[in-house]
Amino acid sequence: MFNFIEGRFSSFLNTSRHIAPLAVLRIAFGSIMLISVIRFIVRGWVSAFYIKPKFHFTFYGFDWVKPFGAMGMYILFALLIITAIMFTIGLFYRVAIISFFACFTYVELIDKTTYLNHYYFISVMAFLMIWVPAHRYFSIDVLRKPQLQITHVPAWTINIFKLQLVLVYFFAGVSKLSYDWLIAAMPLRIWLPANSSLPIIGGLLTQLWVAYVFSWFGALFDLFIGFLLLNSKTRKVAYLLVIIFHLATGWFFKIGMFPYIMIFVTLIFFSESTHKKIINFLKGILPKVTTNKHKSSTYHLPNAKTKIIYTILILHFAIQLALPLRYLLYPGKLYWTEEGYRFSWRVMLMEKGGTIFFHVKDPATGKTAEIINSQYLTAFQETQMATQPDMILQYAHFLAGEYQQKGIKNPIVTAQSYVTLNGSGSRLYIDSAVNLATEQETWGHKKWILPFHNN
Amino acid sequence: MKKLIYAALLTAAAFILIQSCSKSSVNNNGSTDGSSFDRKAMLTNLSANIIIPAYTAFQASTVSLDAAVTTFNTTPNATNLTALQAAFKAAYQQWQATSVFDFGPAEQINFRVNTNTYPTDVNQINTNISSGIYNKDLLANLAAKGLPAMDYLLFGTGADNTAVLAQFTTDGQAANRKSYLAILSAELKTNAATVLTAWNGAYKTTFINADGTDQGSSTGLLVNQLVYDYEILKNYEVGIPAGVQSMGTTFPTKVQAYYSQMSVQLALLHIQAIQNIYLGKSAQGDGSGLDDYLVKVNAKYNDGSLNDAIKNQFAVAIGKLQALTDPLSANITNNNAAVTAAYTELQKLTVLLKTDMTSSLGILITFGDNDGD
Repeated sequence: MFNFIEGRFSSFLNTSRHIAPLAVLRIAFGSIMLISVIRFIVRGWVSAFYIKPKFHFTFYGFDWVKPFGAMGMYILFALLIITAIMFTIGLFYRVAIISFFACFTYVELIDKTTYLNHYYFISVMAFLMIWVPAHRYFSIDVLRKPQLQITHVPAWTINIFKLQLVLVYFFAGVSKLSYDWLIAAMPLRIWLPANSSLPIIGGLLTQLWVAYVFSWFGALFDLFIGFLLLNSKTRKVAYLLVIIFHLATGWFFKIGMFPYIMIFVTLIFFSESTHKKIINFLKGILPKVTTNKHKSSTYHLPNAKTKIIYTILILHFAIQLALPLRYLLYPGKLYWTEEGYRFSWRVMLMEKGGTIFFHVKDPATGKTAEIINSQYLTAFQETQMATQPDMILQYAHFLAGEYQQKGIKNPIVTAQSYVTLNGSGSRLYIDSAVNLATEQETWGHKKWILPFHNN
Repeated sequence: MKKLIYAALLTAAAFILIQSCSKSSVNNNGSTDGSSFDRKAMLTNLSANIIIPAYTAFQASTVSLDAAVTTFNTTPNATNLTALQAAFKAAYQQWQATSVFDFGPAEQINFRVNTNTYPTDVNQINTNISSGIYNKDLLANLAAKGLPAMDYLLFGTGADNTAVLAQFTTDGQAANRKSYLAILSAELKTNAATVLTAWNGAYKTTFINADGTDQGSSTGLLVNQLVYDYEILKNYEVGIPAGVQSMGTTFPTKVQAYYSQMSVQLALLHIQAIQNIYLGKSAQGDGSGLDDYLVKVNAKYNDGSLNDAIKNQFAVAIGKLQALTDPLSANITNNNAAVTAAYTELQKLTVLLKTDMTSSLGILITFGDNDGD
């Protein structure tokens, strides 16, 4: 048994594989990134999310990440475009992919208001791509330096992406195994009828049974699609399901580029012969370039480097396994407290909305001022903050600072917050008597979140 | 491969056990009879019986107002001033039923802020009058135009009508003041006509046909603006003047229609207009509105229906506003407790409209644009 596992593991790592899947992944991921970044700029989001807001919700431990001002932000996004093009075509690949990863992650760290699982996914994919030689076949780098070209790579360079995708889908599936999703068909029974004006199927979407079918199919899809993609017998059907599932969700919900990103990157599961065909097809539509005949050559890394990369990857996947489970360490209902919610592939799971009123009290006079949130926050920031305790706390600290500057010593900041979760009806969310100015952000549970009670 | 699938199934089963013990919903949402709410019928009712009549009436009131200004400017006497003041009040009252719809044609010309930005900037108005220069597109002039600026010119330039009249007859700036008044009322008239023409033209069809709930859909636009306009009422017509945002320091002069002293009356007209949109209620009767939509999707609040909770809170908030008297500025100075009591009830309605209603309908509350996941 042990030998069997060891054997499987060794083949997972070291079997010699053709490099074509890596080259295709580089091009697929790069081109979809290029489109995503351009779309982001064209929609005016650079300004709306990173230039206009006066205040940003940074991530715990990343307070030093600040936006660069208008010029700086546009330069950063220009860099994203340039590096995306560079790593797509495989020009100065390492520099390009490392810069892309750094710039993209930096942008994401500026403000958690814009946090999306698929942005996190992009950072993870870019990070993994740093460690593989995806540019050493069918790339400009190879044209520049023909001696770079290799035809075979150890299997781990391809398998890490498959493993990452299986984890993403599986955890997304596991997170759907809840009472709300499966038994109550929430939140789809709210969201689907809202789409009843769609052509052809619009009428169906108001049927309750359809919400159940979608909920259960979605859960089963996420749970098993990774494994079905791994299996060569089921792969074609699975990929067809990937396309249908993601296009359908993209049609129903406002989820931006996510469906297309997944459709592109799951190509990695296909066999090397499929990838060779894709490359031949691309060669057919690209201008002819004379290259030296492919000699079969294998990627070699010095042992020391291999060890470093293995260590990094083991750490990476350990974190990937742990993060989605960390919520188990917190008391209370996860959807309500959102402690341990992010970075866990919890996608489209809840219909949550809130309204929050902050009050700043001068302890010297006992007088109170209610805050008009729109004076400090964009509508988007306010909406996101209203239902997420860590953001509520950050904003409360910001308000305390503002009033301290106005000359009020130790202002008391309280919040009256009403949140509705999956149609529960709004109810008090946090303890409105607690002085948030003196509460600190920690890894621990926030005791001032009121427990969720069913009526 | 099989082993992997079994392992996955086992893990999945374990998670069902862990997670299924906590539930948040009680199977109460969602249409039970499976038929969908006819949003198109709601949009048709709202546009034909509420929105377009509101714009029509407002446009007519600006025509009367502009005519009254012309008469007054030609013959500035006490009778014509009183008539002009009455025409102004009628326009301001009608505006309360018009301000919500700041999307589509109205949004294109920033109708709401161009018509009703207050407190008005008296210094800017006087500068414009004495210089004789007025650029309607200048941001600083937002607070020197529209109904609030006319409110000041017609009621605030003197202690009584005799003193006001003197500003338009014997005062050194009388000629400039008259032409400024004319410019402002002409601008209002033009804007009102622009929006009404658009609604009577292609936009009505556009509005009825965009019957989804996504960004840019008519239901989405309407609900977002209804919530936004309601918050203007709560904050600017009541809260800020009553000092709730300023540690008890009150700002009685910041009320809407400070000079003509009809703030409470206008606030009541405003909230009743919003209530009518919610109910789909018009001169044509109680048509399809957001209330019917909430009933259709069986939206709950605590143990009752969300619709009942909202209707009830409208009644409570209106009751508290009715307990106030004009001039509101005097109320704030003498009996601010009653004003803040009204504010508290208005606040509760904010939660129901902004959080419960939009969430039950699956409408994104956002005034911008973004992806979700």
